[in-house]
Amino acid sequence: MSWFTRLFTRKRLETDLEKELRFHFETQVAEKMRAGIPEGEARRLTRLEFGGMEQIKEDCRERRGTLWLEYLVQDIRFGFRQLRKSPGFTSIALLSLALGIGANTAIFTLVNAIMLRPLPVQNPSELVVFGDGRAQGSTDAIPDGSWRLFSYSFFHDFRKQAASYAGIAAVNSSQVVSKASIAGAPYQTTRIDLVAGSYFSVLGVPAFLGRTILESDDNVPGANPVAVTSYTWFLHHFNGDPSALGKTIRIRSHDYTLIGVARPGFAGASVGQSADLWIPLSMQAEVSPGPNSLDNKFYQFLCIIGRLKPGVKPAQASAETNLHFKQIMRGYLGPNPSQKHLDDIAHSSIELTPGQCGISPMRAGFSLPLEILMTIVALVLLIACANIANMLLARGVARTREIAVRMALGASRGRIVSQLLVESVLLSVAGAAAGIALAWKASVALFRMATPGLNPVPLNLAPDLPVLAFTLGLAVLTALLFGCLPALRATGFEFTPALKDGRGSSSVSARGTLARSLIVGQIALSVLLLVVAGLFVRSLIHLTNIDMGFDKHNVLIFYLDSSTANLPHGTPDEIRSVHLQEQIESRVQAIPGVKSDSFSFFTFNTGGWNDLVLFQGVPRTPANADEVWFNITGNGYFSTMGIPLVAGRTFNAQDTQNSNKVAVINESMARRFFPNGSAIGHRFGVGETPGDPGEKEVIGVVKDAKYTSLGEGSLMAAYFPCTQNVGFFGNFTVRYAPSANEREIVARVRNSIADINPNILVDGVSSLNEQVNQSIAEQSLIARLTSFFGIIAVFLACIGIYGLLSYSVARRTSELGIRLALGAQSRTLLWLVLRESLLLLVIGLAIGVPIALSSTRILKSLLYDLSPLDPVAISVSIVAVAVMTIAAAWLPARRATKINPIQALRTE
Amino acid sequence: MNTPDKFDLPQGTLDLLIMRVVALGPIHGYAIAQRIQQMSQEALQVQQGSLYPALHRLEYKKLLKAAWKATETGREAKFYELTAVGRAHLKAETENWSRLTDVVGLILKGTLEGIS
Repeated sequence: MSWFTRLFTRKRLETDLEKELRFHFETQVAEKMRAGIPEGEARRLTRLEFGGMEQIKEDCRERRGTLWLEYLVQDIRFGFRQLRKSPGFTSIALLSLALGIGANTAIFTLVNAIMLRPLPVQNPSELVVFGDGRAQGSTDAIPDGSWRLFSYSFFHDFRKQAASYAGIAAVNSSQVVSKASIAGAPYQTTRIDLVAGSYFSVLGVPAFLGRTILESDDNVPGANPVAVTSYTWFLHHFNGDPSALGKTIRIRSHDYTLIGVARPGFAGASVGQSADLWIPLSMQAEVSPGPNSLDNKFYQFLCIIGRLKPGVKPAQASAETNLHFKQIMRGYLGPNPSQKHLDDIAHSSIELTPGQCGISPMRAGFSLPLEILMTIVALVLLIACANIANMLLARGVARTREIAVRMALGASRGRIVSQLLVESVLLSVAGAAAGIALAWKASVALFRMATPGLNPVPLNLAPDLPVLAFTLGLAVLTALLFGCLPALRATGFEFTPALKDGRGSSSVSARGTLARSLIVGQIALSVLLLVVAGLFVRSLIHLTNIDMGFDKHNVLIFYLDSSTANLPHGTPDEIRSVHLQEQIESRVQAIPGVKSDSFSFFTFNTGGWNDLVLFQGVPRTPANADEVWFNITGNGYFSTMGIPLVAGRTFNAQDTQNSNKVAVINESMARRFFPNGSAIGHRFGVGETPGDPGEKEVIGVVKDAKYTSLGEGSLMAAYFPCTQNVGFFGNFTVRYAPSANEREIVARVRNSIADINPNILVDGVSSLNEQVNQSIAEQSLIARLTSFFGIIAVFLACIGIYGLLSYSVARRTSELGIRLALGAQSRTLLWLVLRESLLLLVIGLAIGVPIALSSTRILKSLLYDLSPLDPVAISVSIVAVAVMTIAAAWLPARRATKINPIQALRTE
Repeated sequence: MNTPDKFDLPQGTLDLLIMRVVALGPIHGYAIAQRIQQMSQEALQVQQGSLYPALHRLEYKKLLKAAWKATETGREAKFYELTAVGRAHLKAETENWSRLTDVVGLILKGTLEGIS
């Protein structure tokens, strides 16, 4: 009989056991009667000889070896009954557990998806990323320091020499988002990764259908217009129909043949940036036209991922990689490199980082906040545990009599402890189940709140095995945390007095000490959490109150896509794009209610382009050696954004393609290059050592306006007119009169654009205000979450205090009654009760505040213009905790003064 | 409890005694206790509290098997008998036991010579 069948034949085993012992008993009685003892006496004697029949049965059951399982089933059923019997306790405990475990699961889901989950590729642990895999964009600077982006030439030259790698792959660091049309269908936004021919083979991702991109697809620039789709995209657009292979996808007036579908689950090597299509890098000029081409040895825009040969140590690979990196880079400098460039390359290096989780530009911004949030929710759960432990302690005391009876009947201490623990595990598993349900939705909502914008950031947040394992582990750990001490305490008493008076008086003081230290811990943790919340809130307030330098009200931003308009690129004809923009600008300007409008390369927080500049006749000093942030704008940009002109003029119709090249610069730039005079009329060139030294003349100075984020320092900025830096720039801003109807303006602008060129598609419409809010979405989410958790922490601590004092007042009813009868003032009684909680509060603060002071340093990089020791945040937190604690203590203390002495004395 | 010279059995000894008694043929719990008492010439009295847990453990370890049969008095009782494994086990344990008692006896008597 296996333990399994035993478990299910338990009933029969029980009756057999009863029958067997009964037989023995009866035989023994019969024996005695044969010896002449009367039946009654014989039975009495036999019973004496037998000792406890139940005890023997229990020993027999224990020997059966399946007892633990039978106990478990019993305990679970008993536990359910017990929990049902006290719905108040159960629901409060469940609620705090669901919240605590749910919050942990939600944050862990994000941590897992963003930072931990390995790529769905072959042996991801063999992969290494060149650099930290968090860079995005392109640069043409000479490497200096730790290098993260690489040129196409470097990728190919490096690949020829690297001996440590089984293979090396490359992918462009910023995804191309473009319009694509499948077999003549309407254009749809599509995310495209440009990849090297080795990409799929190095990652070990096979084709689900057809084939993946091969080396031969990536040989000759422009020669192989092929595309591989992700499985999701394939399902969505072709319903999984294999005849999709060979279909034509049109992107920017080029046709690509669909050659394959990648394995299900694979969405590229970049987390939070999943791809719909993969196209060979050789098609870069066609997919993402621009001034830079693949043969520019310093056009560094690729992320490189290598697969180490089995047995190659990372240190070995790193040494080899850096050696080749420097050799190749030195070769690129030509025969007569400058000493500075040689020095730069000597100082530069490639840091190899583990690549099993892929690359992710998003990870950089999320890592620290997620780690902080993870800590915070863990602390909240700890506080919830302390609370439940406290409630269990109180219940333990209430159940003293029950437990004493069971122990007297022969239950071992271990048996009762395990039974109480089963109750705790039941609670926490139920809490965890509710928590998972909560987290499922919450993590998606949280992530969406952290990354607002027109296109949701694709990230798979469905609970997977690691998340479920985490939650289950957390539930068990939680149960042990809050269940162990109360269970041990509940069984660790002398049970004879407990049986006598049913009050467990001997355990009361011990329970009190434990309960009090739990509350001190809760107060300390809540102060810590409130301080953190206070710091984030204050930082957010600073951020939102700062002078942005532009007027964010009443400005619409239209994101335009010109990829289907077949505009010229890199030809003298390109000025047509600018004329198209001017046409749209003047048409929209005529809409009633529109005050001004302008195209621009960037608006606030939409990316950036920077480089060094050098003014003619101004030496490079530390003050002006920073990078200048550029923008290319239409003539109406400054009035549309509300950036005031300080000196000179802004762009106008005289600034044409052929006129003098001009620039408007901001005050920071003017001040740092010309601390003692006007910048107007001076000329500068772009670059560290500009190829065209006096190219641009400063015609105006405007006030500083925020460029990349609200928290940035005062950056130097320069604006160039579209006419002199031709191209089609997708950001179209429109300022309207406060009285105008925003919706109507949106509709009319859309119509005007469609009228002028139906192939210019409006990807989305937003407002400058929204853009500003989005730029601080993460900060405001952190501030909101930490406040939320801080409040929960304080609230839980208050429940703890309230419970403890209510209990102690109830227990001391007679004592308080006697005091009243003897003439104690109610104020004295109030103080008597409050004193206890004040002591706990003071100890809690004495522990919590120093912890807060010494740990908030970690937050420094996340706080804007705020010291991590901000006195306001700290004192507000202390006051809040103190007020809440005293309020929670006040209610039971008031009750103490309302005791009727006569009744109190009678109850004893 | 009227046995004057009751003493504690060393750990594991009870199992051995039970198996020895069961080896004589199918027998129920009460008879096992009686038989041990008789065979030890009333020196050993096995308490029900130790007997039944031991029987159940031996059954669980598959050294004994049990079946319900009618006794002479017509009542149903659970009769134990040795399994093949139990028989082998009893043999090995009995040999162990006699070796152990020999050695312990020798040491206690203080004549250690003659042991190779």
